[in-house]
Amino acid sequence: MWLPFVGLIIGIILGLLTEIRIPEEYSNYLSIAVLAAFDTLFGGIRANLQNIYDEKVFVSGFFFNIILAASLAFLGVHLGVDLYLAAVFAFGVRLFQNIAVIRRILLTKWSTRKEKLEKS
Amino acid sequence: MVRGKHVILSLVCLVLGFMIAFSYHLTQMENKQKKPNVSDKLWEKTLVLRNQLIAQEETNRMLQRDLNKKQEKVLKNEKNLSKETQVFLNLAEDAEKYRMFLGKVKVSGKGVKISLIDGAYDPKEKNINNYLVHEHHVFKVVNELYISGAEAVAINGQRLTSQSYIVCNGPVITVDGIPHPAPFIISAIGDPDVLSSSLNLTGGVKDQLVNDNIVFTLEKDNEITLNPVLGS
Repeated sequence: MWLPFVGLIIGIILGLLTEIRIPEEYSNYLSIAVLAAFDTLFGGIRANLQNIYDEKVFVSGFFFNIILAASLAFLGVHLGVDLYLAAVFAFGVRLFQNIAVIRRILLTKWSTRKEKLEKS
Repeated sequence: MVRGKHVILSLVCLVLGFMIAFSYHLTQMENKQKKPNVSDKLWEKTLVLRNQLIAQEETNRMLQRDLNKKQEKVLKNEKNLSKETQVFLNLAEDAEKYRMFLGKVKVSGKGVKISLIDGAYDPKEKNINNYLVHEHHVFKVVNELYISGAEAVAINGQRLTSQSYIVCNGPVITVDGIPHPAPFIISAIGDPDVLSSSLNLTGGVKDQLVNDNIVFTLEKDNEITLNPVLGS
């Protein structure tokens, strides 16, 4: 159970310690990628709670979404269309939806447990 | 199975954490870099100061131009002054020269001295006037001297001016009202050679005077001093 957290902490430390400088215009892509990663992560949590979690879907979705978002933003910059807005919008909406679903599931789980406790 | 799941999940978390931290770090650095430029107040202040500096420089340039112009003026004035000084110097020299000519000051220089002495008593000559020095003899000598370029002439030490008059007054002649008895010594300042040769011309003044039985002596003098005209 602790291994993912260790991975997270190591990742954060690595990110803070790296002195790699990327050009300013590419920082947009990174933000989109972060958003995509968040979306996939919360999607995975939701799927896990709904018991439809599939590891292959999760992992492939995680990396594929990141790359897709970044390339979409890249394409948008080169076409002169703000396509990264589409990514932000899509991922943002899904992020909120996923969080809402997670919250409802947690709430129902919590209330059913309470009822069970009262009954027993 | 659970182990593998966790490993993959931790890999995903690692990538996520790395991305988040990297993004955060990047944004932070960008903000830091931008901050000095971002501050509006500072920018405005800089702008105001820069404008002030530009205005100051313009004023400086204008003043510099003014200064240059004024320096040119000063230079011109100085040149004029030096010219004026030159003029004044010339004027002063001229005035000195004219004063000398007019007999206002004591003058000295090379010249000649001519003495006209009455002839010796001659019993054959009935008319005494025939061997006395008359004023017209003096006139002749003086005129000849002036014509020959004498700068100053005096009779018995009295300077002649352009307004002088010589009158025969019986036994004496008066120069400007002052009586002078014979013998008359006429001193003249000028080129001694020119003066003497002009007087010694054959048939010239000297011969005429000698014909009138007057003792005429002429000597060159290197240092003749003439006193200023009295009462001038």
